[in-house]
Amino acid sequence: MADDRAAGELDRFLSERADLLMRTAVLLTGSRDAAQDLLQTALERLLRHWHSLDGDPEAYLRRTLYNLAADGFRRRGRLQRKLLLLRAETQAPADATAVVDLRDALVRILLQLPPRQRAVLVLRYWEQLTEAETAAALGWPEGTVKSATARGLRRLRELAEGWHQAELDERELRGQRA
Amino acid sequence: MNTDVEELLREGMERYTAGVRAPAGLAHTANRLRRRRMAVRAAVACGTAAVAAAAAIVVAARAGGAPAGTSSGMVNAHTAAYVISRVDNALAGQHLVLRARTSGVGGPSISWAYGPRSRFEEFTGTEGGQALSNGTFTHHGGSERYIAVGTALIGGKPTGVYVTYYNREWSLLPKGSIPASACSRTGALAMASPPIPTSNWPAFIHATLACGAATVTGHAWINGVKTVRITGSPVTVKLPPGEAKAIRAKWIRTQWTVYVNPKTYLPVRLSGSGYTYGGAAPGAYATSVSDLQWLRPTAANIAKALVTIPAGFHQVSSPADQ
Repeated sequence: MADDRAAGELDRFLSERADLLMRTAVLLTGSRDAAQDLLQTALERLLRHWHSLDGDPEAYLRRTLYNLAADGFRRRGRLQRKLLLLRAETQAPADATAVVDLRDALVRILLQLPPRQRAVLVLRYWEQLTEAETAAALGWPEGTVKSATARGLRRLRELAEGWHQAELDERELRGQRA
Repeated sequence: MNTDVEELLREGMERYTAGVRAPAGLAHTANRLRRRRMAVRAAVACGTAAVAAAAAIVVAARAGGAPAGTSSGMVNAHTAAYVISRVDNALAGQHLVLRARTSGVGGPSISWAYGPRSRFEEFTGTEGGQALSNGTFTHHGGSERYIAVGTALIGGKPTGVYVTYYNREWSLLPKGSIPASACSRTGALAMASPPIPTSNWPAFIHATLACGAATVTGHAWINGVKTVRITGSPVTVKLPPGEAKAIRAKWIRTQWTVYVNPKTYLPVRLSGSGYTYGGAAPGAYATSVSDLQWLRPTAANIAKALVTIPAGFHQVSSPADQ
């Protein structure tokens, strides 16, 4: 019952790390359902290699998660992400301050980015990995990581700048009304 | 500004996932889904193979008697031959419709067989709710058709088909994929999988006359009936290259047990197990238990032994799982 043993060991590992992995998967996919499917697929692969793993199982699992996500795991997820964006735009933010709104908006844009850019940004700014570490995790050249990061950040900056401009415009409008 | 955006993004991600918790039982579900995938691959690898193990064991035992090394506690070979001959007569004489419900590896499945017709359907289980178009699952419970293997009437002619409901596709089964013998390589492979009936039980029985051995190994209570237990000899076979690559193992060792009602001499339960090993993957067991019912050959029951390809499904050249 080697599989059962592996599942037992994996269970113990997940009891400590599952929530964090799930949060990462949510950021990579944009929804909890898709995240659960992504994590499940990565876990299946981990189980398959459990007894032949040389290093840290979490590192293997994260690599699998990121690579699946970067390869566009479950392309159907695009529709779900779009729905999520629409839903988010019609909801009042939990915190009404502009900064909080901007944070939320940045994440919404992040979820709209192509899978490779999104994976890179999650690794860099959620996992706090360096460019070299990110490249190693994804098995990509460092230059590819750099360019994907730059493109993703450019989108986010454009959004942020547009946001600030809108804020300034609104303040000016409020001032005129007063 | 750049730093601000990066910091705000990090905080945004923190906020966005703040309430996220992983569902319980992730490892168990991953293990189960992996086994399901292996079982489906094994089943597909041998076409409409599977077991009809009762018949195979029955005939094998009748032909070969008890194997060398049978323990002294077992019923003697003469008794085994008598039991087995009664089972064989019961199966041959009544032209009944077989219905098998299987649990264990691969989730629930239902098999129907009547003469040359057969239908095997596998369903998603409670841990693998709705099947997605890529063959993976959501995790919200429920049970729906996943695959079907068996006989369909195409142009009025019985034809072997393989249907994948999750992506709405179907394909023809390769001719000759039905094992000539339960002790052939593909037949042995199928023994570790849920029972997909062979296309023709009598032919299958005759083809296995020269194969292996089985023994009456005692009794077991099933649903209040003291059944006779017949166990086949373990069989070890080398996996075909495609299958070996898929599950990353070179060999499979399988064994069947069939439980027979002592009044009707019809099999009421069939269990199979398989152990794959010898490759890059760790050794893995797969088991299945099937409860069998023998139904009158009414038109309604016979009709259930046919696969119906739903309207709108696309034909493809090979099954999605392969």
